[in-house]
Amino acid sequence: MSETKIRYICALEPEFPEKLKNIPNAPDGIYVRGCLPDPGKKTVSIIGSRNNSEYGRGAAEYFARGLAKHGVQIVSGMARGIDGISQSTALKSGGSSFGILGCGIDVVYPEENRLLYERILEKGGLISEYPPGTPPRAALFPQRNRIISALSDVLLVVEARQRSGTSITVRFALEQGRDIFAVPGRITDPLSYGCNTLIADGAGIATCPEDILEALGLIQGGRNKHRKLNLNKFSGLSETQLKIIRCLDYNPVSINEIASKTGCDLSDLMLELLKLQLLGCIENAGQGFYILKLEVNGDGSR
Amino acid sequence: MFSSVHSMSLHGINVREVSVEADVSEGGLPVFEMVGFLGSEIKESRGRIRTALKNSGFFLPPKRITVNLSPADQRKSGSHYDLPVAVSLLTAMGLILPEMLSDTVIAGELSLSGKVLSVKGILPMVLHSRKNGYKRFILPLENAEEGGAAPGIEVIGVQSLRETLELLTGERKPEPVHIDISELLKRRQRHSHDFCSIRGQRAAKRAVEVSASGMHNILLVGPPGGGKSMMAKCLPSILPALTEEECMEITGIHSIAGILGSGVVTERPFISPHHTVSSQALSGGGSIPKPGDISLAHRGVLFLDELPEFDTSTLEILRQPLEDREIHISRASGNYTYPADFLLAAAMNPCKCGYYPGQRCTCGETGVKKYLSRISRPLLDRIDIVSYVDEISFDELNDDSVKEESSETIRARVTEAFEIQKKRFQESKIRFNSEMTGDDIRLFCPLGDKEEELLRESFKALSLSARGYHRILRTARTIADLDHSDNINCAHLSEAISYRITGKGIWDV
Repeated sequence: MSETKIRYICALEPEFPEKLKNIPNAPDGIYVRGCLPDPGKKTVSIIGSRNNSEYGRGAAEYFARGLAKHGVQIVSGMARGIDGISQSTALKSGGSSFGILGCGIDVVYPEENRLLYERILEKGGLISEYPPGTPPRAALFPQRNRIISALSDVLLVVEARQRSGTSITVRFALEQGRDIFAVPGRITDPLSYGCNTLIADGAGIATCPEDILEALGLIQGGRNKHRKLNLNKFSGLSETQLKIIRCLDYNPVSINEIASKTGCDLSDLMLELLKLQLLGCIENAGQGFYILKLEVNGDGSR
Repeated sequence: MFSSVHSMSLHGINVREVSVEADVSEGGLPVFEMVGFLGSEIKESRGRIRTALKNSGFFLPPKRITVNLSPADQRKSGSHYDLPVAVSLLTAMGLILPEMLSDTVIAGELSLSGKVLSVKGILPMVLHSRKNGYKRFILPLENAEEGGAAPGIEVIGVQSLRETLELLTGERKPEPVHIDISELLKRRQRHSHDFCSIRGQRAAKRAVEVSASGMHNILLVGPPGGGKSMMAKCLPSILPALTEEECMEITGIHSIAGILGSGVVTERPFISPHHTVSSQALSGGGSIPKPGDISLAHRGVLFLDELPEFDTSTLEILRQPLEDREIHISRASGNYTYPADFLLAAAMNPCKCGYYPGQRCTCGETGVKKYLSRISRPLLDRIDIVSYVDEISFDELNDDSVKEESSETIRARVTEAFEIQKKRFQESKIRFNSEMTGDDIRLFCPLGDKEEELLRESFKALSLSARGYHRILRTARTIADLDHSDNINCAHLSEAISYRITGKGIWDV
């Protein structure tokens, strides 16, 4: 990791990102490892709760994958939860991603994202306005959020509680005039409260990556195209498999419940569940729970 | 006059011969001394023996009395020397003829009234005596049923010192006790927990059945109140009945540990230590170690409820016994090897609140990770099957129309799977599918083209680790055995994979 050099780019240098210059309280300069976002490409930041639900993970992966496939750069804060999930997924799907840190650029925080820190340097970069060696301090994180929002064309909120760091980023984005999208959730779910409120306040509804791609001007009429494909997603499945699909949801359902709902023989059920997983229709959420997989264009790839 | 009586001493689960010598002689001051590297409970026995003799009608003469327990370089402990010492004294006093004591071993504790009380470790002592060619074993009546299980030696239970004397002088006719274990084991066992009392939970029940069939260690995960502990408690009821050999083995260990009531063990042990258990209690401890919980669970089930609450360093102890099926304990007094061949069953909540990944969970992914990180990885690596025990709905609980399968029916299937494995492994050292190593797996778990394809795809799509590979095949072998199938087919394989990926998040699949 230490092989990649740390550069300091002053706000006066031509290399300094244009988007960062014209915001209130712009940084004087930034430390960079890897490369800077390509100004010629669209950039979306995907942010959300550090303590996400299974639904949030699915949604973050779904959007990051869908956007990365269209060459959109994903920016986020390298934190636990939604941030890390969307960045890892973007990299895995062949896209590029940029991490904005609230600590020194050579500090890995949180530890569990160490792999992401290494991978991101290959296909993106790390950016921080704090000098190397700065330890992660709670006071620094809200400030770095202005850089996250500033670098993006669209800010996508995946899961957020009523009061969260995400709302700070949203406020910065509004100040900076960026578009805001939120992934809707159940009205009873505290983790979706923030998102649903944003939508109520006028943010765009993100139900599929095409919604965002359309807002970015990358595709036209994306929604309808997507819907058509979605209908075909389960064609070619057997009767039993469809029966299983019908009792699944985007929230985890346990194998016991599937068994009693479908009335299938257990051994058959496990075989079919495995086949459906291999087809990419469903996903194992761990501990015997299964969820429907949010899929880009129904192509079954991971 | 000098006399000698045979008895046995316990060193861990090993038994050694001891001769109890007594000498009553004139000259010098009257004294009653006991020598021979004795533990304090034996030194104290002087008072007990003197009083017991008095209350049985014999007075120790005011002479120089010396009792020696030989060999003198081995430390002796336990309360079973009272009776042999008393008999040895009576012989030295000339009340019993020395010939009556040849080929006879004696063990028992005395109360002040002269009553003979039960002692620990009788069965191993009797078995050892038989091996060494003794013909007769006199022991407390309360232990007669236990000792009587050993064939080929005359076991006589006595109630009092008086009775022992009458027996040894020929005034009383001996009534040897013999217990026919095979008869005892054949008798239908009534288990306190039966699967028919668990409603629903089809998937988990099946997982437990597979676990029992191949002795695969199992982890039950689920919200509180789902019936994880109940399910584990039912495990012994579906494991095949004990064989005579196993019965003797378990009875011996339990007898030494002092947890044997009367008679022999006829049910597979179910040991469930509390999560505050110390490492010594789990592995076996003491200067001459007593068998720990893992040895008490030998040939049965060791159940760890609330797995994440256990001290990690305590659980690390299980690693070696789970591989070797025995535990080696080294102490200043020597090295001891105790058997520890058990089925490990563990239960835990999926997260702190217990409802992950259901919608009621308030922990979130990070909270779950933190909770799970408390469990020892190497221990989890030794678990083949993970199953989720769901919360039970009111309708299921209240539905009397469904007749649940009884343990007896499941046990019949498990026993058949045991038989298949017995045949398969008759020429090798292992006994169960779960013990198969790489070479065995290659030999006994060949896959067809279709199955290989399925496994390859699953590995790719579900990002399974190489570590999971062998576990999946081992489990698949057991599932095929339950199905009486020689070959592993796709259904068997996918069930095994399902048990593996259920552990996603708990281990790195």
